[in-house]
Amino acid sequence: MSEYQQLPSGQIVFDPRGKVDADPLSLAPRRRSLDGACVGVLDNSKWNASQLLRKVIAQIEAGVSLADVRFYKKASFSRQAEATLLDQIAAEVDVVVTAIGD
Amino acid sequence: MSAPRKQPSAAPPPAGVDLVEWYFEQGWTDGLPVVPPTPERIAGMVDALGGEPSCVEARIPPRWATLTREVLAINLVLAGCLPKYAAVVRATVLALVSPHFNLNGVQATTHMAAPLLVVNGPVRGEIGLNGGANLFGSGYRANATIGRAIRLVLLNVGGAWPGDLDKSTLGHPGKYTFCIAENEEASPWAPYHVDRGYAPDDSTVFCIAAEGPHSVTNHVANDPEGILDSIVSSMSTIAHNNAVSSGSCAVVLGPEHAETIAAKQWTRQDVRRYLWSNTTNTYDDISFNGRYGQIYNRNLPRWYRRIPGARIPIVPSPDDIHLFVAGGDAGRFSAFLPGWGHMSAPVLRAIDGHPPRSGGCVDGTCEL
Repeated sequence: MSEYQQLPSGQIVFDPRGKVDADPLSLAPRRRSLDGACVGVLDNSKWNASQLLRKVIAQIEAGVSLADVRFYKKASFSRQAEATLLDQIAAEVDVVVTAIGD
Repeated sequence: MSAPRKQPSAAPPPAGVDLVEWYFEQGWTDGLPVVPPTPERIAGMVDALGGEPSCVEARIPPRWATLTREVLAINLVLAGCLPKYAAVVRATVLALVSPHFNLNGVQATTHMAAPLLVVNGPVRGEIGLNGGANLFGSGYRANATIGRAIRLVLLNVGGAWPGDLDKSTLGHPGKYTFCIAENEEASPWAPYHVDRGYAPDDSTVFCIAAEGPHSVTNHVANDPEGILDSIVSSMSTIAHNNAVSSGSCAVVLGPEHAETIAAKQWTRQDVRRYLWSNTTNTYDDISFNGRYGQIYNRNLPRWYRRIPGARIPIVPSPDDIHLFVAGGDAGRFSAFLPGWGHMSAPVLRAIDGHPPRSGGCVDGTCEL
């Protein structure tokens, strides 16, 4: 594989960006209603994330009846959540809410 | 190299597109004019990288595109590097993609941090890297273009375009180039990499996500304590990222300051311990004396005492202060470079990738 192309002028130019090989991921099916849902809250551990998320949950609960709310926390706000944590969340809740809360 | 090879020609280039402007139009520069790559220049750079143009060196976040040797060579040429710089750039890329460094976070953060490179060992002299006067400034091709090549890889391959995947509120000038050498010849101590388990004739690159250098002036002290108290003062603010996110930082001692300190038989470790134990931030400072209610700050270590009057260290331990001697032989100046925080660990890698004599390293890169 080469990164060059030839312009109409005959000059050769090179693309410095490299290729993205990953396949695009599809979104999970959307839920029509939160009524009766088990909702997960993923706190990214930033300064104000927990406060922000608790207020979001309070607003949700003002409008619908949730089956349960479970709270989770990333070890570092800047790193990806651990695969085991993501698996746990996927297994335990129907939807998950997260936020930066800087 | 798979691009077409052309025979060198003494004839003037044919009229055509202004390639410098063409690369600007594609958005494939850092904002400065680039050196338009030619098949010959890229072939020479691929050779310097070890051949095999399709060899995959890394994937660069947050875009996660594939960095082959050919793509790396293109960016090296664009930056204006000589082939003899290629090994240092390659080693730096491999250090930066170590999980310890968390390049994905460094690239995307709203903070201003940029990877600072500090090179040790014989390669400094072999390629003309400046560790002397004005080392953070302009004037040396190796410093300027090695740092620039890294930035072009982070932009072009990593996709860290300002406002897009690079969310930095302010950035800093080190995002053009941020590459220095330790002035081992002017240092009273063993070189940094020797202190970390490498041999003096090994060459290494150290990388830390850092703010720009903060100048420390002290023209009066003739003892270690006086000089270091000035550095302590520069470290003891609540504004830099170490104050709120812990992590690690760098200190660059100017040769005159280092000479005065070492004349009293102080070691590099003595300096680090003095700086660590004498910074003056308190819990009252970082919690704004309760003005905004109780602030716990989950990004500082759990073991910090969160009570009025408690001292809050700038970094968790003296080993988290990375100390170098560098700069010109005249002038009583040093510099403090705050880091990004606990989210990224500094890394050290031999240019040829071989491990140090001791320490925990993975694939040739060591978490510090």
